[in-house]
Amino acid sequence: MKLPPVDYEAPETVSEAVELLAEHQDEASVLAGGQSLIPLLALRLAHPAVLIDINGIAELSGVSKTDGWVAIGAMTREYVAEESETIADDVPLLAAALPLIGHEAIRSRGTVGGSLAHADPAAELPAVARALDAEFVVRGPSGERVIPAAEWFEGFLTTSRRPDELLTEVRFPAVGPGTGTSFQEVARRHGDFAIVGLAASLTLSDGAIGDARLAFAGVSDVPVRARDAEDLLVGEAPSPQLFDQAAQRATDDIDPPADVHGSSEYRRKAAAALVRRGLRAAADNAGERQ
Amino acid sequence: MADITLRVNGAACTGSPEARKTLADFLRDDLSLTGTHLGCEHGACGACTVIVDGRAVRSCLMLAVQAAGSEVTTIEGLAPDGGLGTLQQAMWDSHSFQCGFCTPGMVMQAVAFLSDHPDADEQQIREALSGNICRCTGYQSIIDGVLLAAERSVNSDPAAPPGASPDPAAPRGASPDPAAPRGASPDPAAPRGASPDPAAPPNRER
Amino acid sequence: MAAIAAERYTGASIKRSEDPRILTGAGRYVDDIKLPGMLHAAFVRSPLAHARVLSIDVSAARALPGVVAALTGAELEEITVPGPDALMALLGVEGPTPEFTLLATDKVRFAGDPVAIVIAESRYVAEDGCELVEVEYDDLPPVTNASFALDPSSPPLFANLGDNIARPHSRSEFGDVSATFANADRVIDFRVGVHRHQNVPMEGRACIASYDADLGAMTVYASTQSVHVTKLAVAMRLGMEQDKVRVVSGDVGGSFGLKIGASREELAVAAASRAVGRPVKWVEDRGENLTASGQAREESFDVRAAVSNDGDLLGLDVKMVIDTGAYPGLGVTVPAEVEEMLPGPYKLAALGFESTAVITNKASYVAYRGPWASETFLRERILDLIAKDLGLDPIEIRLRNVAPRTDPPAVMITGRSLAGVTTKESLERLAQLVDLPAFRRRQAEARAQGRYLGIGVAAFIEAAPGPRPPEGRSGPLSTESMRLRLEEDGIVALFTGQMPHGQSHQTTLAQIAADEFGVPFEQVRVVVGDTDVVPFGLTGGSRAATMAGGVALHGARQLKAKVLDFASHLMEASARDLQITDGRIWVRGDPASAIAVGEVARRAASGQFGSGVDANLEVEAAFDGGEGGWSGGSHCAIVEVDVETGIVTVQRYVVAADCGALINPAIVEGQIRGGVAQGIGAVLLERSAYDEDGNCQSATFMDYLVPTACDIPRIEIAHLETVPLDADVNFRGVGEGGMLVAPPTVVNAIEDALSPFGVRIYEQHLPPARILELIAAADPGQSVAGD
Repeated sequence: MKLPPVDYEAPETVSEAVELLAEHQDEASVLAGGQSLIPLLALRLAHPAVLIDINGIAELSGVSKTDGWVAIGAMTREYVAEESETIADDVPLLAAALPLIGHEAIRSRGTVGGSLAHADPAAELPAVARALDAEFVVRGPSGERVIPAAEWFEGFLTTSRRPDELLTEVRFPAVGPGTGTSFQEVARRHGDFAIVGLAASLTLSDGAIGDARLAFAGVSDVPVRARDAEDLLVGEAPSPQLFDQAAQRATDDIDPPADVHGSSEYRRKAAAALVRRGLRAAADNAGERQ
Repeated sequence: MADITLRVNGAACTGSPEARKTLADFLRDDLSLTGTHLGCEHGACGACTVIVDGRAVRSCLMLAVQAAGSEVTTIEGLAPDGGLGTLQQAMWDSHSFQCGFCTPGMVMQAVAFLSDHPDADEQQIREALSGNICRCTGYQSIIDGVLLAAERSVNSDPAAPPGASPDPAAPRGASPDPAAPRGASPDPAAPRGASPDPAAPPNRER
Repeated sequence: MAAIAAERYTGASIKRSEDPRILTGAGRYVDDIKLPGMLHAAFVRSPLAHARVLSIDVSAARALPGVVAALTGAELEEITVPGPDALMALLGVEGPTPEFTLLATDKVRFAGDPVAIVIAESRYVAEDGCELVEVEYDDLPPVTNASFALDPSSPPLFANLGDNIARPHSRSEFGDVSATFANADRVIDFRVGVHRHQNVPMEGRACIASYDADLGAMTVYASTQSVHVTKLAVAMRLGMEQDKVRVVSGDVGGSFGLKIGASREELAVAAASRAVGRPVKWVEDRGENLTASGQAREESFDVRAAVSNDGDLLGLDVKMVIDTGAYPGLGVTVPAEVEEMLPGPYKLAALGFESTAVITNKASYVAYRGPWASETFLRERILDLIAKDLGLDPIEIRLRNVAPRTDPPAVMITGRSLAGVTTKESLERLAQLVDLPAFRRRQAEARAQGRYLGIGVAAFIEAAPGPRPPEGRSGPLSTESMRLRLEEDGIVALFTGQMPHGQSHQTTLAQIAADEFGVPFEQVRVVVGDTDVVPFGLTGGSRAATMAGGVALHGARQLKAKVLDFASHLMEASARDLQITDGRIWVRGDPASAIAVGEVARRAASGQFGSGVDANLEVEAAFDGGEGGWSGGSHCAIVEVDVETGIVTVQRYVVAADCGALINPAIVEGQIRGGVAQGIGAVLLERSAYDEDGNCQSATFMDYLVPTACDIPRIEIAHLETVPLDADVNFRGVGEGGMLVAPPTVVNAIEDALSPFGVRIYEQHLPPARILELIAAADPGQSVAGD
């Protein structure tokens, strides 16, 4: 299971990386953490002509908070994000999801940007990004674009990043008062990809739900926002019956994939269970954040 | 091919690996450090785990060229010449392993984890090692080795030489006294391997 | 109880002599070996399950820089000798023999079937070369399940067989089957299936073949359970004299039955080495291991059970179909083993058993830790189903049915004596360790809170090696040989055909020999893994503890007698008055007379004694298992099932085990726990999956899931006092037991957890999705009587 022949570049700046992408376009793969890309190459499922290794671009790492947004450099290692107090305080949903990504050794190398650019619909971070309406900053030859999460995920392992663009940063809105979050997943084993996962966020004020976010992992070829269920929740007081209805509504329209780990019907049922559990946990957390 | 320089087990090394060559293959083939094993080559089993710049990583998911300038520690570099580190000794004492193929990766992952979490409990250790597959042992003996190492590290004299087992009364191999009690269980009638707390929570939380 | 002389080591958890190298990365597995001029092999494999091979073009591969050779199946046929599988020949397995070539030539028969071998300077380049090989296939309809294989209209995989039946239907009866069924209060019938899963050692198959053209000799560095069987396989296929083949094995990274003899790929590597005149290494990657090395356990059973209203299992009538995959392996021998063991330790009065083995377009059925395990699964599921219908608890039903230990011993309806069986004691011990009434209360409280806990029990026996049959043991593995020698440095060397791959024989056999001979443990060296040096042997079938332990014991005794005989000349004392302790020989009562055994050996080698004195301090010992005996026990699992997600957690697992006398308790327990873990894995996680076109869907560790440290609880083990049948050797094998009985233990617990839903389980693989399907399909009216 050895990698196929491939050329290798190690740019030291974002500009250099963008130049290389502009030159090679679809023939290039960006190598960030490598925890998803290198297995693909080892299995010879991908045969890029060139790897553009961005691990040496220092400006791509870092976590900072400005104007109510937490900016995470694309090359920020998952373990660094896990240890970040800023993320723990200001993006608790992300903080909850990070420890579920694979195992410690994976998070030693894997990056926040890499996971989101790889866009595996069963992965944790895409669901979080979708739930929180994160923003994706890409730089190409003609400059920078900011892409909202709703437009970032296009299909299975496919994003709206153009072949000559590099994802440089992902921004998450800082959590507000009265907001509780929960990340739940059903996985066959500790550390496995989610069979289904749910990123949930509820904002309560005066005992009623002011804002609700539900985003699934593993129910489609992209992370899925359960907008109908969110609408159902807004304005209501949290209750098990309400959460039941939301679970029903959230899973009515999804048509999850089937594979060796579960049928479509199984994923639908498990997703409904996660909605009930996730909303309950988020409502409990919201109380703590008043 | 590019020339790379890195430090492996404290020694400077150079090489000219192809870009596509993994760090695992570079260690095994170019540096003849065959202690690091290949169990799956797609990052799912942990047999290839080494420590790079202080963090446990899967060496099959890194290119050798990406380790240029780094400090790498493999199983061969864990203990002073010919000796055993605290964890290795504890695992020997605990009969942690059988065929030994998962061992180097398991040991490196455990070493990295313990150095950051010296007070970890059993559940935390299980989760930390849940990415290292062992097919022989059912894991209990491995967990026992890690727990024993943690206990010894807590009790050890920081001035003691790193390779020495800090507890002179630690179980040894042959008993010099033919009349010494047999078996390791203090109570022959008690089931061996019982969790110390019968009400202990299940091993996996969801 | 045991008659070992000093008993300092035997019975103690002596630290392993293997560990210093294992723990420091100094183990030597096949892939760690580099030979001068060594090349690397990779295989081109069929992407299709069933197809004719129309053409194959390796020219582009041959032209790739770094590729030294590329051989097609046809080219390999020219340089090898067709013949039966070596292991099958050794075991005398008879029956229809499919004809096929070493690598595929005219036809491919499973997805992953090797079609060509590419030899290059590195594995990287060899795989590059494989991508350049062009093969033209003509699809054939795939035969991917047993019912199609049984259908005469299914396209035969092997032209010379004409159909897809590996072993035609045969039936045996034991006891009066029709009368038993006619007189029974009830007859229940159902179908039980066991799913396909596989060995998955952490080290896959691997070998280096090194042909020396000058000597006409082949050396194979193998990862194997027997160097001699591998040697036989290589010699046969390459048409070489056996004394021109040497097989060497160092550390082996697990096997669990996979690595016996030589696979088609390994034989192709040996032939390739001879063809290119350089050493060739092949290390299968995980994808190859999961798709092509072999799989096991895919069996189905139509069962009728004759039962009394009080819960006696009177008779069974079973129809078995076993899916042996594409190329023949040990799968065809499994039904006979299942038939023989099906009564277990119970008072079954009648058994009708019939079986058919079929051929399908999937990986071949290989031996996997307790190949006959389905008999335990079937029987222990049946007992639970009966118990549920009658409202009996799982221990009660088994105590009711267990054959009491009588004198003369009870005999299984299929012929084996149940001498020394302690099943009853193990069930009683289990009941002490697991307070069943207290669990039932906890279970009821949990149910009231919407949580579903369950408890499962299962019992088993294993012929490890089983009591000595009246007619004696037969077959190539019925005797275990060992050469023992006192070396001049004072080491007692044991040369054994055992090939440990996790079983720690270098420790356990040394413990026994050290005690028996009288040297410190460190002064015994167990030599394994070289056909030039060790006698014939094979590690497998849970036989080493008795067979190798026994020959070590008796051999050490014989060597000691020989050494004392010689020493009597040296020390001018009668051998009767000499003893050996701590590596020194001395005259009883005169410590000053002590001489180190090494010194004695040096004197023997000096040649100063005439021909009247036997100074050759070496013995060749053989042991036939002695009186033998059963291993066995009862296991209990407590599980929790999340009925919304289907996730099952094993909360507690308890074992009451009878493994005979323990050589090394820590090693015994490691074997039990490892087997249990694989059993838990089989139920909750592991499945070798194929789609309807025969594509393997479990080709990576992302899809073939094995248990991790979070999936296996602490396994509590209580050792029962065994019933010794032999005067000296009462060590019993323990390698396979955990794997035999853990699957029904866990399935029984899951069914118990789901009994409020009326779930009945007739299968072994219960991933989360299946749990929810079972709940949805069940009839709550079938709840446990009294629930």
